[in-house]
Amino acid sequence: MAAITPSEPVSTSTQEIHTKKMWKTLVGHVPISSPFYQFHPVTRLYLFVFLGVVPLFIFVPEINFLLVLVSMALMLWGRADLRGLRIYAPMVVTVAIFMFTVVILAPGKDPTYTPLHMSLITIYYQPVFFTFAAYWRLMAMLSGTILYFSTNRERDMLVALRAVRLPFVASYVIGLSIRAAGMFMEDFRTIREAEQARGLDTKAMRISDQVKLYVMYLVPLFSIALRRAEEISNALFARGYTVTGRVKGGGQRRDYIRSLYAIRTRDVIAIVILISLFVGAGISNLFFNVFVITDSPLNIYLRGVLNIP
Amino acid sequence: MSEVVVIQDLEWKYSNTKEFALRGVSLEIEENSFVGVVGANEQGKTTLISCINGLIPHSHHGVYRGSVQVFGKEVREQDALELATNVGMVFADPESQFTAMTVEEELAFGMENMGFDLSKIREQLDWVSDITMIGDLLDKSPYDISGGQKQRVAIASVLAMNPPIIIMDEPTSMIDPLGKQFIFNILRRLKEAREHTLIVVEHNIEQLASLSDQMLLIHEGKVARMAPPAEFFDDPAYLVERGIVAPEVTEFAYRLRELGQFSADIHLPLDLDNGIEITKSVLDRQHS
Repeated sequence: MAAITPSEPVSTSTQEIHTKKMWKTLVGHVPISSPFYQFHPVTRLYLFVFLGVVPLFIFVPEINFLLVLVSMALMLWGRADLRGLRIYAPMVVTVAIFMFTVVILAPGKDPTYTPLHMSLITIYYQPVFFTFAAYWRLMAMLSGTILYFSTNRERDMLVALRAVRLPFVASYVIGLSIRAAGMFMEDFRTIREAEQARGLDTKAMRISDQVKLYVMYLVPLFSIALRRAEEISNALFARGYTVTGRVKGGGQRRDYIRSLYAIRTRDVIAIVILISLFVGAGISNLFFNVFVITDSPLNIYLRGVLNIP
Repeated sequence: MSEVVVIQDLEWKYSNTKEFALRGVSLEIEENSFVGVVGANEQGKTTLISCINGLIPHSHHGVYRGSVQVFGKEVREQDALELATNVGMVFADPESQFTAMTVEEELAFGMENMGFDLSKIREQLDWVSDITMIGDLLDKSPYDISGGQKQRVAIASVLAMNPPIIIMDEPTSMIDPLGKQFIFNILRRLKEAREHTLIVVEHNIEQLASLSDQMLLIHEGKVARMAPPAEFFDDPAYLVERGIVAPEVTEFAYRLRELGQFSADIHLPLDLDNGIEITKSVLDRQHS
């Protein structure tokens, strides 16, 4: 299957850039060539909303686990950089440790909870399984988000937002915010490297000193951020930008980048399917009590094994 | 030729400083001319060009006296859109002026503000990509290219809007020698086309002198000298006192003239070719 189709923006640089594998974005990398690019950015946005919000209607951990697998499979299909997922591993583990530690040490008081006596401690089945379900809900949402940012450039995101009729000024502010976040991280790295170059070894520092150091970073970072804000403001002024979006001659503002993308039949079909699934999941959960924790096969099995009514 | 910029008795003081940054500046800039602006640091060069493109007084607070007219209309009375239509500005730090996610968007942004239709945007995009040689960068992030490329993108984004006046504030200050040469080549092409009034603040005196129709020296917030390059550099000692060093070839000829080796009526050379020519003619005369 050809990865590049006419729905993808065509520019003079496309051929040259395709000799490389990844595009750098302010928040990571995206593949230069991907089957995802056959779809309009707005379709990809709908997929993101679907994968990111549908877990809120689903409290069956198995289904959320399946959604994680779906996201991973889509990443693989979309030629996303799966090696990049390693950076999320500490977060995934830390969140699990945090959630389960809290629920084991402070399960709450409820006479209906079923105690399970382990060798040294007693845990309660219901809050632990509830946490297990919540954890997989969180993972499903996270993997949907990672999929989106691994297969969409900032420009795609802005085109998608404008395609759903978000006012230009709002999409522009979002774009600048994404940019600011990237530059904030860049500045932070520069300050850290400058300190290391002058012999600061943070690993040898006590935790309390490290915390103080991080607080001290805020001063230069915010002063740089303020200066950049002024520079961007000047740049916008110099290029005739007005908050109202008014353009010279009073006509309608043209959106050149959006004009490079076209919504095709496949986009319409994909959007209809995604919206149907989304609405179906929402209605099933809200009105018919489907996808609740008691529907979980694992929950049913464990309750049977542990004789929990 | 008509004057596109007329400044009269301009004084400006930033609200957070005690001294006036500009003190009674008066000057006129002709249409489609190339004005090279020089001066030591903190003498008022950037402040002056900010007054022409309207950042002062629109985006800065302070005391403003006098008059700055662009195309016969007071800058104070023009809004951002009108000013951007008339005056384009390339900042010293190209990255500080980027607001988009790809080079292509960066170029299109100003044109969208100008109300260009899509076919015009496409046409301008092709033209600026060609003139600034950035055709292979359009799909890239403007933060992910080299310093020289960033500056070319910054120039292209202003050029694409096609303002009749283009101001550049030290466009080569943050780039390597090859990148500088690229920028000066672009400036040369623009000058030869004679379709824009170019006001360029630059420390590379030699390159600037060879391009400028008028050289402007700003010293302590005042116009210390404004003249065609040959006249401007005729007294290098005066310039040195104000923190400016003339091109080496000019200095060389000036010293020989002071020593009586060159006649007092020669025009000091501004570039190497001119210097060789003058020196050769003097030597030929002596031999004959």
